[in-house]
Amino acid sequence: MSGLFSTLWSWLRKQGLLMMTALLYLWAFAVDPQRARLALAAGGHTLLSVAVLILAVMGLVGLVQVWTNRDAIAGLLGKGSGVRALLLAALCGTLVIGPPYLIFPLLMSIRRQGARWAVIGAVLGAYAVKLPMIPLEIGFLGWRFSVIRSLLTILFSIPIGLMVEWVMERGEKMRLLQKP
Amino acid sequence: MTSIGLFYLVLVAALYAFFYRRSAERTVQSLRTAGKALQTMAPLFVGIFGLIGLFEVFVPPQLIERWLGATSGFTSLLIGGAIGAVALGPPAAAFPLAGSFLQAGAWPPAVATFIVCWVSVGVVSLPVEAHVFGWRFALARNSITFVVALLIGLIVGSLA
Repeated sequence: MSGLFSTLWSWLRKQGLLMMTALLYLWAFAVDPQRARLALAAGGHTLLSVAVLILAVMGLVGLVQVWTNRDAIAGLLGKGSGVRALLLAALCGTLVIGPPYLIFPLLMSIRRQGARWAVIGAVLGAYAVKLPMIPLEIGFLGWRFSVIRSLLTILFSIPIGLMVEWVMERGEKMRLLQKP
Repeated sequence: MTSIGLFYLVLVAALYAFFYRRSAERTVQSLRTAGKALQTMAPLFVGIFGLIGLFEVFVPPQLIERWLGATSGFTSLLIGGAIGAVALGPPAAAFPLAGSFLQAGAWPPAVATFIVCWVSVGVVSLPVEAHVFGWRFALARNSITFVVALLIGLIVGSLA
């Protein structure tokens, strides 16, 4: 019985957004069925209009995920330490696809291999750009907005990395001073 | 948008054909990965677009303008960032939501900040990040990224 509940619970947790939307629709149909129907039609129309684009982007995501080797990227990032390593980190961040609970441990393993904190910070900074998903962003927000936002995010990922590194190194220094 | 979608679909199909000649096995694996990604994302997309429908019909544009509009200036920037930071969802879902914000009259800088925060600042995933990297790293990275996201938003607004 508890097994059934935990399966149900994990499914519900994964589909939290769908559940929330369904509940909101229940509420909407109870309050104003006419406008609720309008909302459903509007949502469905938008979904249909981008369905093909979503299909294409997912195809691209599959290619990137299989043909880029996460471990090889990790090895590459662990080695360098100069400007080139930071640029590479920003570039890799845009290609890394996956949930945070997969990415964080991978990056920590790179850190243990000797990568700078700045490299870890830069990868996570550039993570807000999804190269394979740019078509989707352009579809909804226009190419000018999307390209400028993506370029700026990549550009700023390096200063983010350096600032995070500064904070981390300060912390390590303080700890060394406190130790007798 | 369907024609843009078809264009990309043809492009991706061509890429698949190219990679198939290099390694049939890995390309089939790519297709399988794509199918799996689509499968896990499908309920999410249904949820998101359902939400967008509700949003378009039930949320008056005046409300969006008040919270995320240009007249609120810096406050709307902060609100956009905060919504993005708290929200939990894959990046692919951020774009349609951001699009409907824009259509409802939101200020572009606030929308750009919203997207960057959606992916890069995670209040909900903060404990996970702290567990892996330590609290110092997690707090420093998220707060620095939040501030930079505001900056990125402002620059996007002045350029786009």
